Amino acid sequence: MNRLKTKLGKLELKNPITVASGTFGVENNNFIDFNSLGAIVSKTITKNEKIGNPPPRLYETSNGLLNSIGLQNPGLKGFIENVLPKYATYETPFIVSFSGSTIDEFSEILLELEKYDSISGYEVNVSCPNVENEGIAFGTDPKIVYKLTKQLASQTDKELIIKLTPNVTDIVSIAKAAEDAGANSLALINTLLGMSIDWKSGKSHIRRGIAGYSGPAIKPVAIQNVYRVSSNVKIPILAMGGVSNWKDALEFFYAGANVVAIGTYNFVNPKITIETIDNLNRHFLSRNQNLTEIIGKINGIN
Amino acid sequence: MKNILVKIIENIKLNDDYFLLWIHAPEISKSISSGQFFEIKIAGNNFPLLRKPISVFEVKNENVGFMIKKIGRGTENFSHLKKNDVLDIIGPLGNSFELPSQKEVLLISGGIGYAPLHNLKKELLSNNNNVTWIHGGRSTNDIFSSDFTFTDDGSSGQKGFVTIGMEEILLKKKFDLIYCCGPKIMMKKCSEIAKKFHTKMFVSLEEYMACGIGVCHGCAVAIKKNDSFTYKTVCKDGPIFNSNEVIWNE
Ligand SMILES: Cc1cc2nc3c(=O)[nH]c(=O)nc-3n(C[C@H](O)[C@H](O)[C@H](O)COP(=O)(O)OP(=O)(O)OC[C@H]3O[C@@H](n4cnc5c(N)ncnc54)[C@H](O)[C@@H]3O)c2cc1C
Ligand SMILES: Cc1cc2nc3c(=O)[nH]c(=O)nc-3n(C[C@H](O)[C@H](O)[C@H](O)COP(=O)(O)O)c2cc1C
Ligand code: FES
Repeated sequence: MNRLKTKLGKLELKNPITVASGTFGVENNNFIDFNSLGAIVSKTITKNEKIGNPPPRLYETSNGLLNSIGLQNPGLKGFIENVLPKYATYETPFIVSFSGSTIDEFSEILLELEKYDSISGYEVNVSCPNVENEGIAFGTDPKIVYKLTKQLASQTDKELIIKLTPNVTDIVSIAKAAEDAGANSLALINTLLGMSIDWKSGKSHIRRGIAGYSGPAIKPVAIQNVYRVSSNVKIPILAMGGVSNWKDALEFFYAGANVVAIGTYNFVNPKITIETIDNLNRHFLSRNQNLTEIIGKINGIN
Repeated sequence: MKNILVKIIENIKLNDDYFLLWIHAPEISKSISSGQFFEIKIAGNNFPLLRKPISVFEVKNENVGFMIKKIGRGTENFSHLKKNDVLDIIGPLGNSFELPSQKEVLLISGGIGYAPLHNLKKELLSNNNNVTWIHGGRSTNDIFSSDFTFTDDGSSGQKGFVTIGMEEILLKKKFDLIYCCGPKIMMKKCSEIAKKFHTKMFVSLEEYMACGIGVCHGCAVAIKKNDSFTYKTVCKDGPIFNSNEVIWNE
């Protein structure tokens, strides 16, 4: 029997391991069989092509990574023509991450993506600036998240995941707004914000200064966010942030995650997803337990 | 490209800064072209976190050589590797140098930029090309066998930059092709000279990398596109680019 079965809202997954948006692509099929994954999440796409930020875009810090990619992507049309067909041959549910600068733009992208049966769900990246609201990220305002989610939920019957940014004062209020507006599940966390400076010259290691911070170093922050959100909403959670092995994944399940995504660690070990699945399988077999029995069962807190 | 574990067969210290790491890699040695690189890490060691991109210095039957300069924690760790230690490598990665025949070819390198041109020279010679190599570096430690050498401090060869040698030789002789690898500022200057002499030049670029396979878009380089530019990946679209396409000031 399959001990790793799990559910993410409307999606039944054969195992709880997927990949974090922006850290994985078709080229990864040189290392792993995509059909072994629980799901696949695309790099965030936008309506028009984005060439991204000027380099340097990356810098490694203690056990973490700063990135400033600037959502470089081929745009909706380029994605549909050149990327989507490459995933259509796999059985694994394919989730498309997308973003926009206005609610109408999100809505327009979803309308187009709805035409494709090979897409199983959507991960809505709300960490980007809202041009209708002084460029403040969509994901920082519960009212805007509610409005956006409500609009998108009315347009699709597929799995609708809202991906939350941790760079807010009260992530629970944002999570609840998404839930109330009809999100089927929540993804968290997107990257934290970080910076790094060369102490000799005072020069920023990243051309744009402020960057997204990911990797093993952020794991405790991610777990804390998952714990708080899962304790306050009923919809399932796709968790990510610093997972580098199967034991890390277990921590996230205990904290309340239904599915776990691996991001930065794909760069370190391109077989990490498959190794994590195999090890989790062995773990639950040896304990004669199913994954779903431990989700949210953190203990030792009082 | 493959992700495999390989054994070190020899680690040769060249001087205090440089060393040559030889691995036994029969699974991939036949599929390597000059100019390609590997993303390498020490098996089981996850600090630093990211793999390090290292060019192919030489392929000898089933063995692959990397020439490495110690500049930080990662390369320092590699310098301590011993016979039978295990490397975890991904590759071969990236595009490769175009391999002409019966041409007059000029190679220009600075410092560790020597590494990718070494295997290229071997292939150029066996393809019946004439090769002239100008190499430069800060000091004697940065100098390796070539036809003309330059050092910033004058401790070996001629004092000055490789660009002096490049101008001189281009005034005297016509070359069909130039290949260049070194610090960005050097490649920029060389590309201006190549343009002046209407000679086609290819450069091997470096940029900070995470995935090495074209999925993260971390290793962006600005490349001309119509009247404007776009960002390409050094790891997948490169590392070799026509120097005329690169926007050096971006
Ligand atoms: C395509 C390519 C081929 C290369 N070939 C060679 C080679 O044959 N021999 C050789 O000695 N060096 C080569 N390098 C450079 C080598 O990758 C860096 O020297 C090495 O990553 C430094 O790591 P460190 O931990 O020792 O230094 P750190 O102290 O971490 O960094 C010092 C500098 O090295 C560079 N660097 C660090 N991490 C990375 C990374 N993950 N990706 C890219 N650059 C990084 C940055 O410029 C950084 O400022 C190549 C680089 C590229 C992009
Ligand atoms: C290079 C890079 C690119 C990323 N691109 C995206 C993206 O396009 N959309 C998105 O929602 N998250 C993006 N992320 C964030 C990851 O999906 C993930 O939320 C975050 O990195 C935390 O997980 P990790 O620590 O396992 O990497 C990116 C992260 C990295 C490192
Ligand atoms: S290093 Fe990831 S795209 Fe080049």
